[in-house]
Amino acid sequence: MPRRSRSIQLAALAAGAALAMTGCNAAAKKDDSGGSAAKDAKAFTLVTPDPVGQNEFMKLAVSGVKAAAKAHGGGTPKVYQSSDTASQQQNLKAAVDSAPDVVVTVGFEFADAVAQQAEAHPKQQFLMVDACTTKTYQNVSCGVFREHEGVFLAGAEAGLLSKSGKVGAVDVLDTPQFRRYSDPFAAGAKHVAKKTSTATRFVGGQSPFDDSARAKEQAGSLISKGTDHVMAAAAAGNYGVFEAAKAKGAFAYGVDVNQCPAAPGTVVDNVVKRTDVAVEKGIGHILGGDAGKTVSYGLKEGGITLTGLEDGVASSKCVIARHEDVLKKIGELRDQIVAGKLKVDDPAAA
Amino acid sequence: MFDSDLVLSALRALTPILLAALGGALCERAGVFNIGLEGMMLMGCFTAVATSWFTGSPWLGVLAAALAAAAYSLILAVGAVTLKGDAVVLGVAMNLLAVGLTSFLLRTVFGVQGTFDDPDLLGLTEIAGFSPLTWLSWAAVGVAAVLLSRHAWGLRLRGVGEAPDAAATLGVSPTKYKYGAVLVSGVLCGLAGAQLALGNVTLFSENMTAGRGWIAVVAVMLGRALPLGVLLAALLFGLAEAAGFRLQGLGLPQQATDAAPYVVTLIALFLTTARRRRTTGASA
Repeated sequence: MPRRSRSIQLAALAAGAALAMTGCNAAAKKDDSGGSAAKDAKAFTLVTPDPVGQNEFMKLAVSGVKAAAKAHGGGTPKVYQSSDTASQQQNLKAAVDSAPDVVVTVGFEFADAVAQQAEAHPKQQFLMVDACTTKTYQNVSCGVFREHEGVFLAGAEAGLLSKSGKVGAVDVLDTPQFRRYSDPFAAGAKHVAKKTSTATRFVGGQSPFDDSARAKEQAGSLISKGTDHVMAAAAAGNYGVFEAAKAKGAFAYGVDVNQCPAAPGTVVDNVVKRTDVAVEKGIGHILGGDAGKTVSYGLKEGGITLTGLEDGVASSKCVIARHEDVLKKIGELRDQIVAGKLKVDDPAAA
Repeated sequence: MFDSDLVLSALRALTPILLAALGGALCERAGVFNIGLEGMMLMGCFTAVATSWFTGSPWLGVLAAALAAAAYSLILAVGAVTLKGDAVVLGVAMNLLAVGLTSFLLRTVFGVQGTFDDPDLLGLTEIAGFSPLTWLSWAAVGVAAVLLSRHAWGLRLRGVGEAPDAAATLGVSPTKYKYGAVLVSGVLCGLAGAQLALGNVTLFSENMTAGRGWIAVVAVMLGRALPLGVLLAALLFGLAEAAGFRLQGLGLPQQATDAAPYVVTLIALFLTTARRRRTTGASA
């Protein structure tokens, strides 16, 4: 079971704990026990904010580092798994101390810590995935995602599948960053079925990321008004949305990883973030001398996709696996977006 | 927007708040200011889910939640009553500890972070359209009202809260009654947690109480620690929350609908204090 949706937390970046880092003056001591076999073998270290375990999102990041190591003749990459803010800081510092070619971090949790380390160690290359430092540094490269493109495709699926002609989304908060998960859903549904009516509910409240009971009520209020396809972008609340949809025979869409196993027969498809693609390509850019840039990954780069468009749909437990005709149309839409013929509006664009 | 859906939604939001608030009201009456409701409720959520998962019986989950939260409430009982510590500090500590402890247990027992959810996790089955704990919460309001106003226990409990020394001279042990009130509030908060995690939804996620315990604390104050008053206050919050969702449907921004419970609280406080001032003014 995945951790609460990571991308949803991304925009909570500002609230991310910035513990005082006192170890800035610790000189980067060269660690010989890097374990690299060849002399000029490339070393990569991945620091995760959570234990990898069964976390699909982190597993993808690990396979991305491994693929990069293979592609660039590196030794077995090191993976430092953190479990809380303190161990995130320690692991990042340990990674910097061992001075690999690239230190890779995943998630908004590292934004402040990476900024500090990057300033203290200007020769160390960093790759941040799914987040970026607020200031730009020559030695920090970032990989971010264009989630809205995937959400648009999910919306198109909903538009094609909806029997009532009403689709909706349960989102976390009413901010431009989070609207990437609701506005394009409506746009996608309307693109394929003009008459579709759309609605969005925001969880809000005291802890919008954790409140599955509230998310369930929000989804329930949409469904009782006739909505039969609901985009779930409510972090931990997603499970509440799935419960509401299941109870009333409606359908839902997940985010980040394949959430279909949480409610087989209810979850239609998922907007998946391929962290492995962002990690592998990001390392490639840095080694190619193109560091310090922010690269965005969408449908074109294969960084954003739907479970239904990937291999293994048949065993994904997703409802979409039964609708090959719909998938065919969605594939065509994706090709149009990739070719630049169809543009998806980004609610977060300034 | 006022339809049966709204009422049902409000009643679902009501149950956990009402159970916790009743517990808080009993403590208030016994002279222990209990703001640890949120933490006790969260312990109940986790215990309910874990027990239901491992035994396959949501009923055992409810029972275990009540017992675990009662055990957890001993922190407040021992700390505030026996050791005469500050109940506010203890309550805040209990709330913080519960978040950390349940997250830690979630990781060690289930090996997941954030949320534990499984299609095979059994929740409570409804009786006549409502969770059995919803029915229980309404019964508890009646029982608490009768006990407090008509029964000797209730009289002694109130005596202990208002004048512990006077109660002690009459042979009533304040310690015993205070412990009793805190433990019962633990049981009620455990039931509130079980309702939230096995009734409202069927899952556990970190910090899933999401401020409901604090709303319950406010409901205790607003309802003047009277069972019926607490019921009305909690109902007000349930309605405000359910109506808030629907106001979004009418085009109100989420930031505005989020304020609904607080606006309701302010209005209710204003009205009740205005009335009280009038009555005290008349009697003076």
